[in-house]
Formats: sequence, structure tokens, C-alpha cells
Amino acid sequence: MTTLRRYLAERLAGAVVTLLGVSVIVFLMVRVLPGDPARVIAGVLASEEEVGRLRSQLELDRPLPVQYGSFLLRLARGNLGVSARTSEPVTRELLGRLPRTVELAVVSSAIATAIGIAAGVAAAACPYSIFDYLLSMATLSGVSMPVYWLGLVLIIVFAIDLNWLPAAGAEEPASIVLPALTLGAFSMALIARMTRSSVLEVLGQDYVRTARAKGLAERAVLWRHALGNALVPIITAVGLQFGALLGGAVLTESVFGWPGLGLLLIDSIFARDYPVVQGIVLTFSALFTLTNLLVDLLYAYVDPRIHYG
Amino acid sequence: MAVTRRQHRWWRGPGAVLAALLVGAALGAGPAGAAAFRIAVGIDPDTMDPVQTTTTTVGNLVDYTVETLTTIDEAGRILPLLAEGWTVSADGRQYTFRLRPGVRFHDGSPFDAKAVKWNFDRLIDPAVRVPIRAAYPIEKTDVVDPLTVRVTLKHPYAAFLGALSSTTSGLLSPASAAAPGNDYKNYVHIVGTGPYTLTERRKGESLVFARYLAYWGRPTSYESVVVRIVPEAATRESLLLAGQVDLIILPPLADVPALQRNPSLKVLLAPSDRTIFVAINTRKPFLSDRRVRQALNYAVDKAAIVKNVLFGAADPMDAPMASTLFGYCRTGAYAHDPTRAKTLLAQAGIKPGTRLQLLHPTGRYVQDKEAAQAIAGYLREVGLVVELQTMDWPSYVATISTPAERNTTQLHFLGWAPPFLDASQQALQFLSTYAPPGGLATSFYANPEVDRLILAAEQELSPDRRRSLYCEASKQVWEDAPWVFLWVQRFPIVYSAKVTDVGSLPNEKFAAVHARPAR
Repeated sequence: MTTLRRYLAERLAGAVVTLLGVSVIVFLMVRVLPGDPARVIAGVLASEEEVGRLRSQLELDRPLPVQYGSFLLRLARGNLGVSARTSEPVTRELLGRLPRTVELAVVSSAIATAIGIAAGVAAAACPYSIFDYLLSMATLSGVSMPVYWLGLVLIIVFAIDLNWLPAAGAEEPASIVLPALTLGAFSMALIARMTRSSVLEVLGQDYVRTARAKGLAERAVLWRHALGNALVPIITAVGLQFGALLGGAVLTESVFGWPGLGLLLIDSIFARDYPVVQGIVLTFSALFTLTNLLVDLLYAYVDPRIHYG
Repeated sequence: MAVTRRQHRWWRGPGAVLAALLVGAALGAGPAGAAAFRIAVGIDPDTMDPVQTTTTTVGNLVDYTVETLTTIDEAGRILPLLAEGWTVSADGRQYTFRLRPGVRFHDGSPFDAKAVKWNFDRLIDPAVRVPIRAAYPIEKTDVVDPLTVRVTLKHPYAAFLGALSSTTSGLLSPASAAAPGNDYKNYVHIVGTGPYTLTERRKGESLVFARYLAYWGRPTSYESVVVRIVPEAATRESLLLAGQVDLIILPPLADVPALQRNPSLKVLLAPSDRTIFVAINTRKPFLSDRRVRQALNYAVDKAAIVKNVLFGAADPMDAPMASTLFGYCRTGAYAHDPTRAKTLLAQAGIKPGTRLQLLHPTGRYVQDKEAAQAIAGYLREVGLVVELQTMDWPSYVATISTPAERNTTQLHFLGWAPPFLDASQQALQFLSTYAPPGGLATSFYANPEVDRLILAAEQELSPDRRRSLYCEASKQVWEDAPWVFLWVQRFPIVYSAKVTDVGSLPNEKFAAVHARPAR
């Protein structure tokens, strides 16, 4: 087995253990919450008999270890159970929503990365200039603005006043623009700040002075030499932010009615739909773990000094 | 250091990306064609299977496709729909319905007595999840002939025709149980006889209904109805203001006055059947004293809260039920009278500074938290020290529905909307046997005389005598004050002025099936 393969196998085994831990925590967490899920799902008008029948259908009348064991057994077969609210398989519910959340996270991540890196490099190229100060202010606003507020402001400006973009939903290709900008604002600001400081640090290195001295164009100095060597911390920020975007989508999806996992998670928590909540949290955890692994592997690609083993 | 021309180039990139995104997006934006009527609601249907519905808004959407034997009009009167008429046996246990001829389900199968029997058998089948099954005490259903069906009840139940107008008893095509995705216990693709067929459903996103050209009834104007799921009230409002939908329900209440002033919109504050009240735990020390409960009613200025907290979107209660229910009669009013409240409290031996806990949900009912704060303020004015407590809805239901011996609540804020417009469904709240764990009469109110009147009214067949029995019960309940009677909510519906023929039903539903573009 090559070094990289062994490293991969170890990391994947670690990921499985992490997910098992997550499954225990989620399983217990949703069950220690007060409130009878059977009553909530059946509605306040349902008779006790109906509620009892539902409780039994959901296996809520069985001991916790039995419920968890049955959950794990099903999970091993790729079966996440049946939604208590909609009576449909959780896997189907999740697969119906996952592409929307991934789409939103990828687009906002792409926007955040492209704009964040470009702005960060530009600021590093002319530090302490008006542009740099403006960028600092913009990034400070980006990291401080609540998603809910920013979302509503964007809706008022671009959907109501200018009528350029859909205010909510996911019916048209353009529908993704406002949620992606809202979701990506924080990451964009963070990546820009990270890029600026990282590139600025590299620009002070001797080899940059040498590159300039031998007459290289400023563009080549900045993009090839400075940014290339400053990439490791930036990739870390981008990777972590991508994971955070998946989780952060909950609020954005709610504001924009974006039909992803975040919206489903909120509905399911309020409805005490245990199987769906478990499924979504496990999915988010798996995606987060996978993203971290990919980021670690990317380090070796962008920086040949890094080896695994 | 000045920004040079060359350095400027670095930030042109992101600006260009953003501009391209916005311009490109703008080209693809804009309202859809007038052929579609576009609605935004806040709830993603948990089910489209009529028997499983528990939420009015979900029922409202199912109604586009699935019809019932009876229906109601804007005044709440029961009218025939898929039944042309009916007779009731002298003992009130047998209902014989003459069905509308020539009606077909959207899959082409005939609507007949066999189909009704199949649906009603399913409604009472314990294998099928039917949360509101108790409203249908059906013993059996018999096919008399292809267009006549006879339903036998377990006991006389005068509210049965009203119950049949509810979405729960919506009639599906039996043949469609075999359609892909459907099974007898759980319908996903509903096939009914209504004016629209459900053609597409994207979970959490939208539902699309297409006009059913062979509909037996009055033709509709719009070729399709698109329902978008938008949980945030402010976002629903934005969609309407941007012209991207034609109708929304439940906008942010604080914005209603501004929406009413907007000439491009029309606002309906529709009467509803939802009563909002503070349930008083009548088993608790000193709250078991009727004088204290009456004092709480006199202490709270309901009209002021309606005006200032609910922006006029409610009417103070003048009976223990909404005026839209059969069986309502005006019983009086507890006018705001703090002096009288203080006198009653003193007579009951309640000292100033007595502590009370008021539990309230947050976000479950319109302005619930704000209203609870106002109520606490009024109770403080008569010398009570009120501690407010809130929790999420599932915990809330669990707490208030704990059986009396373990129940720790004193006062709790609650709403109640009967599944159909009959006093029997509201009277449950005052029936001693409906107290937890048997039901959700969470004030644990028990008055044998009220129990007798309610049970007699349930079985009484003469509408006049029923009305009179409910009226008598209402007066007694009002006097006993197991609740702080607050208000009957109004249901805000806002729609574009470019649309007309939009109405409402008194059970928190919009009536927009026959909406059409305004000329």
C-alpha cells in the first residue's frame, strides 16, 4: 500500500468513527428534548388512541438502546428510516433536497473564493491605500452582517426596487444569485482578509524581491509567486468555509425559501421528525468530514514540500 | 500609497463577476405568464393525502384537486358539492346521499357510490393514519345504487354534514391507489374530481396544479396554479411587492396597515374560526375560584391589544366560540374594568403581589409573545405579579397537556381552530372528559351541567334545539370563565389588485379557485 493510500484509509476509518460518534450524539440529543413527537406529528386535534398508534409506529415506545440499535442496523443497509411527518423514506427526502444545498454551497463558495482571493490580492498589492481601507471596511461589514438582515436588504434592492431578480424560491436559474451572495458574504470577507495578510507576508520575502529585480511583470509576481506560495492558509479557509456554508445554509434557505436541507432541517426539528433530523445531521457531518479530507489532500498538490506518511 | 491604474485591474475581476451575475440573472427574471395564478404560502405540505391532513393551509391546497360531499360558503353555510342532496333518518344515524351524476376522477374512473364507500371505509380503517378520525363516527357505508350511498353512524351526530365538508373526508379515486408512489395507507399523488390536477410537486419548493378541462363544475380562469413554499413572512411579502406572486397569506402583521395603503394590493382580513385565549388551570389553588377567573377577564383590555398589538387583525371574543361556527350566540363581554377586577380579587382573598405564571408559545400564533407581554402588563395593573415563560411548540404541547395531577401550569396562552365550523368542535374545550389525557381541554374545566348540554347538543337533530343547547352552554361557560377570553383571529390574505374574485372561507382558507385577472 502506498503512503498516500494508507493515509487515505486511516483518514476514512477516522471519518467513520467520527460519524458514529455524531450519530450517538444526535440520536440522544433529539430524544432528550421535551415534547412528545407523536403528539406533535398527529396534531393537537388527534385522539390519544391515534397518538398512541403513531408512537408505536415510530417505535417510540421501545427502549432507547433498542431504538438506536435498530437505527444503526438500518443505517448499515443505507436505510435511514421513514419520515415521521411525511411517511416517505428519509433517503428519498434527503436526496430530493441535498442537490439544492450543495448547489447553493458550491455557487456561494465559488463567488466567495473568486471575489475574496481577487480582492485580497489586490489589497495586498497596494497596502494602506484607499482601496485597501475600503476593502477592510467592506470585509468587516461582511463578517459582521447578520445573514437574515443582509438577505432582506438584497431582496428589497434587487427584487422589489429594481425587479432584477427573483425574491425567493428556486424556480429560475437567477433564483440562486441572492441566496448565494447572502450566504457567501461572510466567507468572501474572511477569504479576502486571509488572502490579504497571507499574500502581504509572502510579498516581503527575499525571493519576491529577486523576482521583481529580474524584471518580472507585477502580475506574474503577484499571481504566480506570491499567491502560489500563500495558498495553503487560503485553501484551509476556503475548505473550512465550504463546510460552514453547508451548515450556514439553514438560515439563508429559510430567508429565501430555498428548498434545501437547511429548510427541511428546521421543519423537521419543529415537527420532532427524529429520523429526518438524524439523517440531515449525519449528511452534514459526512460532507464536512469529506471536505476536510479533500483540503488536506490539496495541500500536497499546491505545496510539494508537504508529504503524507 | 495611491492606487495606480495597473493596480485597479485587480478588483475589476470581482466587480465584473458580480455585474455579469446580476445582469444575466435579470435577463432570466420577471413574472411568469398571466396563465398561471401564483400563490405563496409558508408551509410545505407534510402530506397531500386528505385523511392525513391536520393543517388548514395544506387542506386549502388539497382542495384544488380533491372535493368533498359537502362544502361551505363564505358565511360558513353547508352546501352540496359532490352530493346533490341527502336525507337523514329519524334516529339521526343514517345519512343517505344522492351523488352528482356524470362526474369523473382525473384518471377517468367514475365517481360513484362505490368510490365513496371505498373512501369512507379507508377513513375509519385503523391501519390508515387519520389524526381527526374522531370527527367521523362512521359505523358502515353501504352502496344503495351507483349514485346513492348510505352512511350509518355509531351514534346520532348532528355535525356530520359539517364534518363532511372538511378536507379530511376528501374523495380520492380508488383506482389511483395503484398509481406509482401511492399505496392504500399513504397517498402521494392525489387524484380527485376537483377543478385542478396536481401535476408537479417539488418538496419544500412548489406545487403546480393544471386546469382540469373536463371539470364538472364552473370553469376556472387560470390555466395553472403555482404554489410556492416561502416560510418567511417578510419574504412572502417581498414576492408580492415585486410582482412575483399574485397572492400571499399571513404577511408580517405589523406591515398590514402599509399593505392596506398600497393601491396595487388588496388586503382581506378574513373572519376565521380561531379563538385565542388564556386557558386558566381551574384545578390550581385560587384559580379554582370563579371570581378570580372573572377578575382576570376584567383586568385585560382586549380591544386595546387587538388595536395596538394585532393591528386590528382580530375581534374581541363575545362568546366562547367564533361567530362563524354553527351554534354561536353572543353571550356578552368582559369589558376592561380594573376596579371590578381588583374588587373580585379582594373578595376571593387574593392579596396584591400574588404571583402567577403565564406560559406562552413564541411564533405559533400571530403576535403571541407580544400579546402575552401586554396581558402580563394588564394583570400587573390589578396587583398580580406575572412571570412570563415560553418554550418551543412540542415542549409547550407536552407541558400543557400533562394530566391534572402532574400539571404545573397556571395560565397558558393558546389558540383553537375547529376542524369544521360547528360548535361541537369548540365545545370539546369545555367538556370535562376532553381534559388531558383524554384530550386537550387544558383548563381542566368541569361543570356537569355544561357537559350535559354539550352531549345533548351533539346528538340533537333539530338545528334550532341544537343551537339553543349550545347557547345555554356558552352562557354558563362564559360565566364560569375557564379562559381569559381574548379574541377571534382574522386571517390576513393579500393579493395583487390585478386579480379579482378572491375571497375567503371562515376556516382560515383563501377562496381563489375562481380568481381571474381584473379588467
